[in-house]
Formats: sequence, C-alpha cells, structure tokens
Amino acid sequence: MARRDYAQDRESIKTFLSEFCKCDDDGKKEFVYGSQLVKLAHREQVLITIDLDDLAEFNESLAEAVIDNCRRYASIFSDVIAELLPSYKQQEVHAKDALDVYIEHRLMMETRTRNPMEQRDERNSFPAELMKRFEVGFKPLSTEKAHSIREVKAQHIGKLVTVRGIVTRCTEVKPMMVVATYTCDRCGSETYQPVNSLSFTPVHDCPSDDCRVNKAGGRLYLQTRGSKFVKFQEVKMQEHSDQVPVGHIPRSMTIMCRGEVTRMAQPGDHIVVSGVFLPLMRTGFAQMLQGLLSETFLQAHRIICINKNDEISDKDAELTPDELEELAQDDFYERLATSLAPEIYGHLDVKKALLLLLVGGVDKRPDGMKIRGNINICLMGDPGVAKSQLLGYISRLAIRSQYTTGRGSSGVGLTAAVMKDPLTGEMTLEGGALVLADQGVCCIDEFDKMADQDRTAIHEVMEQQTISIAKAGIMTTLNARVSILAAANPAFGRYNPRRTVEQNIQLPAALLSRFDLLWLIQDRPDRDNDLRLAKHITYVHSHSKQPPTRVKALDMNLMRRYINLCKRKNPTIPDELTDYIVGAYVELRREARNQKDMTFTSARNLLGILRLSTALARLRLSDSVEKDDVAEALRLLEMSKDSLNQIHEHQKGHVPNTSDRIFAIVRELAGSGKAVKIADIMDRCTTKGFKPDQVDKCIDDYEELNVWQVNMGRTKITFM
Amino acid sequence: MPCAMDLPCTPDELAAQHRDSAGLKELLKDPSRWHSIPLLNYTPLHKLKDQTLVRFRGMIQDMMDPEIYLERYEVKSPDSSKRLQDGKFRDCLKLTTGEEIDYHAEGNVHGERRTMFVISVPGLNEWSKDHEKQCCPQIELVPLAQSPSSAKKRTLEEQDAMEVDGAGDTAVKRPCMKDMQTDEEPGAAPNSSVLASEYLLNSPLPDRPSMACMVKVYEEFDTYQLNTLVDFVGFLSVDSSLDFAALDIGDCENLSELQAAHPSPFLIPRLHAFGVQMLPHANPLMDLSLRQPIEASEEAEPSQLAVHKDLRMLLKLCLFDDDLAAEYLLSHLISSVYSRSEMQSIGKFALNLCNLPKDCQAYSTSLYDILKLLLPASHYLPMTLETLNTVSFAPKKDYETNKLVSGVLQLAPHTHLVLDETRLQQGKLEANGVHAVQHLAHLINNQELKCDFQYYQIDYHANIPVLVLSEGRSMLPSDFVMPINADAKAVELFEESLKAAHHYLQPARLHQFRKYLTTARISNFSVSEEHTEMIQQDFVDMRKANSKSNADDLHGLLVLSRLLGIARGRDTLDKETWQLATEFEAKRRQRLQSLPKAALTRN
Repeated sequence: MARRDYAQDRESIKTFLSEFCKCDDDGKKEFVYGSQLVKLAHREQVLITIDLDDLAEFNESLAEAVIDNCRRYASIFSDVIAELLPSYKQQEVHAKDALDVYIEHRLMMETRTRNPMEQRDERNSFPAELMKRFEVGFKPLSTEKAHSIREVKAQHIGKLVTVRGIVTRCTEVKPMMVVATYTCDRCGSETYQPVNSLSFTPVHDCPSDDCRVNKAGGRLYLQTRGSKFVKFQEVKMQEHSDQVPVGHIPRSMTIMCRGEVTRMAQPGDHIVVSGVFLPLMRTGFAQMLQGLLSETFLQAHRIICINKNDEISDKDAELTPDELEELAQDDFYERLATSLAPEIYGHLDVKKALLLLLVGGVDKRPDGMKIRGNINICLMGDPGVAKSQLLGYISRLAIRSQYTTGRGSSGVGLTAAVMKDPLTGEMTLEGGALVLADQGVCCIDEFDKMADQDRTAIHEVMEQQTISIAKAGIMTTLNARVSILAAANPAFGRYNPRRTVEQNIQLPAALLSRFDLLWLIQDRPDRDNDLRLAKHITYVHSHSKQPPTRVKALDMNLMRRYINLCKRKNPTIPDELTDYIVGAYVELRREARNQKDMTFTSARNLLGILRLSTALARLRLSDSVEKDDVAEALRLLEMSKDSLNQIHEHQKGHVPNTSDRIFAIVRELAGSGKAVKIADIMDRCTTKGFKPDQVDKCIDDYEELNVWQVNMGRTKITFM
Repeated sequence: MPCAMDLPCTPDELAAQHRDSAGLKELLKDPSRWHSIPLLNYTPLHKLKDQTLVRFRGMIQDMMDPEIYLERYEVKSPDSSKRLQDGKFRDCLKLTTGEEIDYHAEGNVHGERRTMFVISVPGLNEWSKDHEKQCCPQIELVPLAQSPSSAKKRTLEEQDAMEVDGAGDTAVKRPCMKDMQTDEEPGAAPNSSVLASEYLLNSPLPDRPSMACMVKVYEEFDTYQLNTLVDFVGFLSVDSSLDFAALDIGDCENLSELQAAHPSPFLIPRLHAFGVQMLPHANPLMDLSLRQPIEASEEAEPSQLAVHKDLRMLLKLCLFDDDLAAEYLLSHLISSVYSRSEMQSIGKFALNLCNLPKDCQAYSTSLYDILKLLLPASHYLPMTLETLNTVSFAPKKDYETNKLVSGVLQLAPHTHLVLDETRLQQGKLEANGVHAVQHLAHLINNQELKCDFQYYQIDYHANIPVLVLSEGRSMLPSDFVMPINADAKAVELFEESLKAAHHYLQPARLHQFRKYLTTARISNFSVSEEHTEMIQQDFVDMRKANSKSNADDLHGLLVLSRLLGIARGRDTLDKETWQLATEFEAKRRQRLQSLPKAALTRN
C-alpha cells in the first residue's frame, strides 16, 4: 500500500471540519462540525464525534485510512481541531476549573517573561495535550458490522473495530495522568511530561537551561494542580452466548475507556463498542513475561448500551436481500410455522398460532381506551404431548421472554413485589416475571397447578396489560405488555370428553375467555400419523440427522430477526372488510347458541379475530389487512374450537364427512332462498376450516346427485 | 536422555529439523513413536528437565483467551551484532548475558497461541492409572543441576531463587498426595490474596484430585472442544519465572486474575504442544500409543459373544440373580451418545435400578466396587442431602480470576456417573440442592451440561451415562426404569455372591471384560432398509394396541435393540434382536406396573 501523504490528509481534514455541512429539512445548510467546534471553543462540549459516514461522503479514501490507522488519525484530527479552535472562539470563555486558570496564568506569564523580539508561539513550550480540553472520537461507518470477540484477530491491530458483547466487570473510574507537570526546587521552572502509557517514570533532574548550565542539580517535584488528568476505566467484556461456537468457552476482551466514554456501561449490560484494537505496553508486564507476550486491548471510542428490548441498532439485525428472498417464497407462512420447534412433529396449526403470538397484533388506542394487540394462547393436553417443549422453544426464540411454572410461582413472583431494603428501610419495587417480560412473551407451564388467588393476579395483565400495585405506601401501575402462553394439564390426568373445558382444566371462565386461542393437543393413535412419526424417528436414529423435509427449518436467528421486522409494521383494517368480519362474528355467536358448544364465544373473540388478522398481515409485512388474513384468523379460531369439540363428535359414532358438512353449511346459507353464490359459500366454508378443493368436490358431488345445479359460469348454485 | 527416535527433543531441535509441521505430523501418525515419550501424568517433575519432550493425557477443562507472542525476534548482542531467535514453543526469551531484545525490529514476527487448561481424566479408576503408569517409560533421575539451557532469568535474584527452590521441593509431593487437612474453601481466605492450590488445580472431583497442566497450542484452534479427551505431545516448560510470585507487578487491579493465569509451574506445569491426538475413549488397554506390556496381548481373544455371556453371568450374580436387569445394566455399560440431532441426543441410556432390597445396606457401594473394576473411568456419588446442598455440580465462571471453576458433573465422555439415591434422607433441599437436581435432570434428559457464566448459561455436550440406584422410583428422570426382581435366596447370599464375583474377576478375565466394554461402546451399528420398515410397522401396531405408547417408547426400543445387538457382537440389526428388545421392554413394563404406585406418579 502506498504511504499516505499525511500533510495532505491534514489539509483535507481541515476543510472537512470547517466546510462539511448537511442540508436540513428546510434546505438550510447546517455545519455539523463547525457548530460543534464553536461549542468546543467555549468549553461547552468536551467530546466531538466524527461520523465516518460523513467523512466517507466527503472523501472515501480518507475514511478508509482512518479505519486502518485509527490512532494516528485521531491525533491528526485532534491537532487540526486544536489549530482551528481559536478562530471559532466568539466570546471570552470563563475558566471552568483549576486547570483552565492554570493554563491561563502560564500563558500570561510566558508572554511577559519571553523576549518579545523572539518570534514564537507562546504555547510551544507546553505539550499539546495539556492545552487540549476536548476529546475526539470516531463513529464507525453505518455499514460496519459488529464483530464477535473471537473474530478480532492480530490483523486488526491498529484498526477501528466494532465489537458486541456483554460487560462482565468494570473498575472504578480513576483519574489517569496525561501530562505530568513538575516544578524545580532550584530554578522554579516548570517541566512537562506527556504520558502515553499506563505507567511512567517520573523525571527527577531539572532539564531547564538554568539548572543544566549551572549544574545546580535541581530536583523536580510533581505538581498535581498543574497536571492534566482524564477519567479512566477498564472494562472487561465477554462474548454473547450466541456468538460462542459449540463446545467452546466464551472469550473476553479488555476495553480501556478514557474521558467521556467512561461510565457508559455496567456489568451485565449488552454493549456495542467501537474502538482501536491495540497491543498493550505495560513496562512491568513486558518484563514479567520476559517480553514474549503482549496483551491486547480495545481503546474505546464509542460505547452503546443495547438492552434486549431496545431497537437493536446493530447491523446484524437487518435482513440481507438473500435472506429476504429465501423468506419471501410462497409457502413462507407454513415454513415459518414448521420451523418452530422442528423437533416436535406435526401440530402445524398450533405452531401457526404460536407464530402469530410471537408476531403479535397491533395495539389500538381509540379515545384513550386501550385494546391490547398481544395474543394469549393456552395449550392444553394430555401429559407427554410436548407442550413444555413448545413453551421452552418459544421462550428461547422470543427476544424477550420469561419461563415459569405455575407450581413454582406465586402471584407476587409473577407480577411485582414490594421489598423493604434491610439497610435503608426504603421500599423498593421488584418486577416479577410478567413485568420482566414486558413487550415479550411470558410462558407459564403447569398453569392449572397455580393457586387460584395467584392466578387472579394475571387477569389484569391479560386484558389491561398493566399491573397495579397498592402496597405499603407505593401506588403505581407497571407496564406488562406481555403475551401469555400457558400450558395446562387436564384436571383428571387425561382430558375427559364428557366434561366441559372449564371442568376439564378447572380454570374460571373469566380467565379462559382472556385467551384468544385455546388448543387441545391430543395424542390419538392414527395410522398415517404414527407411521410418519415412526419413519421420522427411525431416520433420526440411523442417519444421525433430521430427515430432509420438503421445507427446511429456518435458522432460529433468522426467525428472530424476521419477527422483529414484522413487529415494526402497523397494519390497519380497511373499512370494506368490516362487514365481512361482523358477519363472521355474528355467525359464530349464532352457532354457539345453537350447538352445545363446549367453549365460549364472547365479544372477546371478535377482538381476538382482529388481533390474529393484524398479526397475519404483519407476518406478510403488509400495511393493511386483507380478506385472506381474516379468513385464516377465522380458520385458526375454528380449528382451535374443533380441537376441543371433535372429541365429542367421536362419541356420537356417526361422523359426517366433509361434503355432508359443507352441504349443511350451504343449506343454512340458502335459508329460504333457492340460489346461493359460490363466492359466498367459499367465504363461509373457509372460515369454517374447509379447503376450497373440498368445497368444489362437495359442489360436484351434490350436482351429480341432482340436489342442485351449477350455472355455466360456475358462480351460482340453485337448489332443485 | 531417553528421547523418541526422530522426534525433536527440544524446541531448538524442532526448529532445526522440521521447518514444516506436515513432516512432524507424519511422524506422529505412527503410534509407536509415542511410546518412549515420558508421560507427564506419571513422572514426577523433578525427574524432568525444562524444555524436554513430554506428553500429557487429559481432559480440556477450560480455555483461555488467545495470547499474542513473538514468534521470531531480533536479539542485539553487546557487540551490536544481530541474530534472529525463535520464540515458538517456549515461555522465556532466549538471551545470553548482555544480549537485548529489539522490540521494534522489522524482522519480528507475531504469532497467536492458545492456552488450554487440561486436567488428567477426572474419575479415572485405579486400574487404568496403574496400567498407564506401567506403560510410561521410566526415567533415570538426573541430579537436579542448574538447567543447561542458557535462558537468562532476568528478574531472578538470589532471594527469589531460594524461594523457588523451596517450591520445587514441595512440588515433589505433588497433587496426588495432597494432604487432606487443607480443606479450606477454595479462594475463600479473604485476607490473604493467595489462591489455594485446590482452586488453581480445579479438579471436578475434589476428593479425587486430578493433575493439571496448561497446554499451549499453536494451530488448529477450533478443533479443541471443552470436556474432550486429548493427548498432547510437546515441550515441558517449568521455568520458575513463570510463577506469579516471581512477578514484579506492584499494585495491580486484579491480582487474583493474574495469579490464576500464572500459577506456579511446579504446581501446574506448562506444555508447548506440537502434536495432539484426540482420544475416543479413556481405556489405556486399547491405546496403541501406549507401550502395552507384552504378556497381555499374547492370548487369543475370545469372541465378543463369549465374553458377553460371561459378563452377563457376572452382572446377574451381582444383581440378585435377575437376568433381565443384567441385560439392561450391560446395555447401560456400553451405551454412548452416538449422534445428536437438533435437541435430541440419541443413544443415551440413563438407567434407574430401583426396587433394591432394603436390607442390603452396603449393596450399592459393593455393586460400584465391581463396576469400578470394569470401567476405565467412573464416579460414585452418594446423593445425600449434604452432598446435594454443598457440592458444586456444574462449572461456574469466576470473573474475579477468569477461571471456569469446575463442578462434579464436568466429566469426560464415557465417565460413568453412579448416583446412589438410597442414601437420600428426608430433609430440606436448599437453593444449591435444587440447582443440583436440575443440573442432574438436564444432564440425564439432554446429555448436556449447563455452565453458568453468570449473565447467561451455555450448554456443553456431554456423554456421561448415568446410573441411578434407588429403593423406589428415582426422583430423577431416566430413560429406563428397571425394578429389580430380587430373588429372596440371592438376597440372603448376596455377600457371598459378591465375594465370588471378586474371586471370579481374575486379571485375565478383567482384561477381557474391560476391552470388551470399550470395543462395544465405540463400535458401529446399522439398520437395514427392510428392518426399518418392520420397525415402523411394529410401532403402528403398538400404537393401535396401546394408545399410551408414544414416540419416547420407540426411541427407547431403538436404542435398546442397538445395544443388545452390539453386546452380542453384531453390527446390523436383525429381527431376532428387535424381538428381543420388544420382549424385554414388555417384561420391564410389566414389572413397572406391579410396582406399588405412589399417589402422584407420572406416566
């Protein structure tokens, strides 16, 4: 690589700082760095952050050079700024601290004592570091990806790198000497010593002309007031668990923070650090390992704390076009659903519902009333049907989640506890699982085993999405915008088809109705299913891998990011769909009245349909809900009811086949009239969980039986 | 100095002979070349000189952050002549008096190396140790003179040298014979900043301490995985200046971390590895890289089937004449996780032998005494409340010292864990105990070990067969619950039968059994297309007959039939074995049903 011309770079940096501007909304030019320089000059700002995006826009090769040789350019920038600053000074600056006063005094003294004939800048005898009262930091390019610690290797030394990890340890913030100032006990002259490393050897003999010439042997004494210190902190960072390859130990890295980047993070924080990767020169150290080893560290330029709920500003979070393309295939809905807990076989509809739970519906706030968008689901089923595995998978997949079991948690543990600090006697609030899972998923296993009074604590959360506390002088409302995924075992060990849902799981109707979907997962012998399961297992045993299914399971990380993307959409329901939804709901209610339904149909179901359909629209990354979404939502609702009801049908002996059932629907639809539109039939039937080809078959079957006639355009049927 | 033919004896020789590592690798492929390298595990340190060729067998317990070191550096002599010196495979600079290193020379090359914290296989049984010791070449004691290497010890002053000598003396009676009175809580002494040697050695099983060695590797970093068995060949480095005590650091922020990273080389020697072999098992009898004593290998090997019969007889004798239980125990002894897919680990065979007769108090320990003779590595853990509440089970990261503090469950693959639940009394399980049970359950269910990194947990694959001995059903999960049908007569005679068993286990027979178990464990097994279909059909029928049977039953049957087949020396599944497995499972189920049911039993 050709050597860069630093003098030329210096000039272009100068132009960049003084001339770079952005146009704001009004078309006015805004000098981004110019205005900051003014603030720096007035000591109103300490840290100036150079956005490398801006620099790249100005001069791309310069930005690259900065990344490659960051430390050098940092000092060039700082020199240039120091040079520019006096011209930006618009008013007299008041001294802010002792060092300012000190510098001012020295400058004055210099001008007085120096020979006025000598043409020299009065600051020259002072080290530049002493005079600079600002810091320079770089913000990496926005295209820069955050590395994991193990990706940072020896070739990154001296470069600006961005690393992601978790803080494990922080030292206290301590002052670190940047410039040591000494006074001589003989001649009184001052000596300055810039310090660049972690330790320094103090100067003892006075180097001034007086002492040297006279051989006076003046001793130097360190002067704390005149020395310059910066804040200094050492932070230890470790890899995230998802960055560690299987069977390896997480790596750690030391970060040195100086000045304004100190106190940015605490142990346990997830951070993204940009900084220069440097070898450590510790004098004592070099000796101790006899020079063979050198430690490395990251000199931090910028630390961002990302906690899990924040929008991850991380570039990893964006989906690449390739990934989007992979996702945007026709069957993406099925694919996403089957990729949920791929080791659990079948249960596609349950998985679809869980997928919607992860995505969530849209929150609405018409006129101060709050309607939750989060979807609550309750899974019931006989022991050993992988309910807990599903819960475990969801809690791992969701970005924010809590997993508890009903038996192990009390109402307080779930909601919030008021604690008295034993030392100060102050009351403090500690969030329980539901508060901690705010904006996430709370999985509660063995929901039925929970004590009743504890369970009532959840009622508020499930509908209002808040937790109110009125205890020991603390009255507050905490947010708990959480989706609840509960799993329950039937009360009598196995599901008893002769009893109702409430009797079977012994949960009150008030709680049950708060679940948007109730699924009964059952494990019944069925030749086809069993054979497929057996094939699956024998394959796994003999080939040591999952069988190649038609749809390959998606990577968990990719799913997580896609779901995150979906959550940013806020689809609305267009007016023309209202009638359709209302019609469907009325139909549901009517049916519930007519048949001896084992579940409930209440106004909450209507909201549930809306939630599910908005979630579906989100999943398509669409901004408005379509009819298909509503139809699918209705289908899921129907299937979930079916899962509860079909047991009862089994008891009856005669199971009407699909065609018969569709016929019944058509009959109903026709009412007293004779002609029915096929489009209407389709609508109605799909909401009931039938597939279009089944409907077509039914129409053909009954036409053959001469029950009805289909017109030429196949749009209408007429009963004979 | 006994040294392997053609293998370099010192780093200098290595640098001179083998510029390319490929040639060296080729040399190491021949297991007989490993024979004459002294095993660091069994050779006292005072018999070994610094910078000589040694090998160390053990399990990777922890991995440290990478080190950047000077692979080659320029040395300036006082007469201002320059030379290049290799820094690979050594800890210290190699300088003669007056020479100085030039840190800024153009010719300096930086390299990267990793340090692995390796401990000798935890839970290795006496016989395996004895055997390995026998295989290890003996070294004549060289008088402890000043090491001939001209390495300059720069920080070493007279006084330090004295101290170091003292340390050298204590190092002679190294960890194996640690006196038991130093029972202090590791690292708990608050006023002294010195870490206890138990803490530094970091043995998973505190009552069976293992040796530790810090191995530095120079290539293929990603092939090393935690908790795997490895055999490293390299150069020993025990320079006393490596000790934390010899460092001159003044006041430093994290003393304990430095101390943990630089323990005394006499306690934990360093090894700079240039060769490695991954060990598929810990059985020294079947390791070609060990020089086997001659008499053992002479006899004609009996067939697998014959040994199987003998071994089954023996186990039956030990299990109160219960043939079925003997089959299951045998299957358990040869089980191994042979594949993992997504979240399942396939091949695990956690066995719960329950319904042990109540009046045979010492039965579980006597049974373990027999198993101990058969297995290369195993550990017996009495599940008393005290053990559960106090002992640490899973490894935990200590950020003060940056070490992964080991736990009882950090065991090498194929180390059998025998949990004695008959020792459990009623009482209070504290927080630690609850975690212990959770860790055990997680290990049994998933064959994964959860390591606690405080801010998150990471699962590491494990392959530890767990055998639970209990009176009733165990409170821990298990793949197979096997109630023993104790023959009343056998119960009375059990002490005699155990004596007979010990008598029966003559060295030659033991040798057979030991080899048989390891061979069976690592052998392959396949299922033909035709039999797969048969199995699938059987499962469908099974579901028809009993709707309660589920996927887990099929998993169980497949594993059992595989193990039964392997035990009989077959390598493919045949109909007979499959039927045997189904028959056994049916019998076992029957026994389970006749067990007295507690108020709330699952399944």
